[in-house]
Amino acid sequence: MNDQDIQVFISGIRRYFESLRKDLKVVIEPPFIKEDEKPFLEYTGIIGISGKTRGAVCFTANGVMLENILRFLNEAPINGELICDLVGEIANTLSGNAREEFGRDFLISVPVVSTGGEVRFRFPKECRNYVIPIIWQTEKAYLLVCLT
Amino acid sequence: MKLLIVDDSSVVRRAIERDLESGEITEVDQAATGEDAVRLYGAKLHDVVTLDITMPGMDGLTCLDKIIEINPEARVLIISALRDKATAIDAIKRGASGFLCKPINPSELKEAFDLLIED
Repeated sequence: MNDQDIQVFISGIRRYFESLRKDLKVVIEPPFIKEDEKPFLEYTGIIGISGKTRGAVCFTANGVMLENILRFLNEAPINGELICDLVGEIANTLSGNAREEFGRDFLISVPVVSTGGEVRFRFPKECRNYVIPIIWQTEKAYLLVCLT
Repeated sequence: MKLLIVDDSSVVRRAIERDLESGEITEVDQAATGEDAVRLYGAKLHDVVTLDITMPGMDGLTCLDKIIEINPEARVLIISALRDKATAIDAIKRGASGFLCKPINPSELKEAFDLLIED
C-alpha cells in the first residue's frame, strides 16, 4: 500500500457522496495509520479482499449518517435492516470502484455487516490499517483499508 | 414492458426502480440472487434486466450466461461497483447490452435504459 493506492479510495469516497447530492461536499481528513485497535462505529460493512492483494476494506459509520443517506435515497420508513443493507452496499461500492486502479485480480467478497462496534473478522496480521476519516453533514465515518 | 432488477441490496433495487419509473414499464420484478433471477427470467422473459455482479451464490456474470442461454436476444444492463475495464469488456462479450458503474447516476441510468429499449 502506498499514497497512490489510498488516493484511489479517496476518489471513490468523493464519487459516492457526490452521487447523493453534488452541492453537499464531503470532507476527507488526512488518512492515518492505526496499528492497534480499529475505530469501528455503530455499523460496519466489511469486504474481504483476495487475489494478488489480501485483507479487507471496511466502511464504518454511526446510524445517524446512514439514516441521512437513506433519506437522500428517498427511503421511508427507515429501519435497521435497511441501514445494514446500506452500510454493506457502501463498502461494496468503495471496494469495487478500487478495481479501476488494482485491476481484476482485486477480488472482493460480498459484504458482511457488523453492528454495535464489534467486528469479528480475521484481518491478516501483516496488514497496516489505513484509516480515512470522512465527514458528511457534520457526521463522521471511516474507511479502513487493511491490505497486504 | 417488463423489467427485472437483480441486486443483493434492497436499497439499490428500490433506487433503480424509482429511477426508471415511467409509463413504459408495466411490470417490475426484483431478485436478490442470481438463482432467483434466472428462475424469474425463464418464467417471464423480461424486456430489460438490470444485473449486479457481486452477489452471494451465483454471481452476476454466471447469471448473465444463463439468461443469454435462455434468450440470446436478452437486453441486460450490468450495474456493478466493479470499475475495471476488463470486467466491463468481459460482460459485453458474454452478451450484456451495457455496463454502468456504481454509484448509480440516475440520469446515466435513464439514458442507458432508453438506449436499450430503442434497440
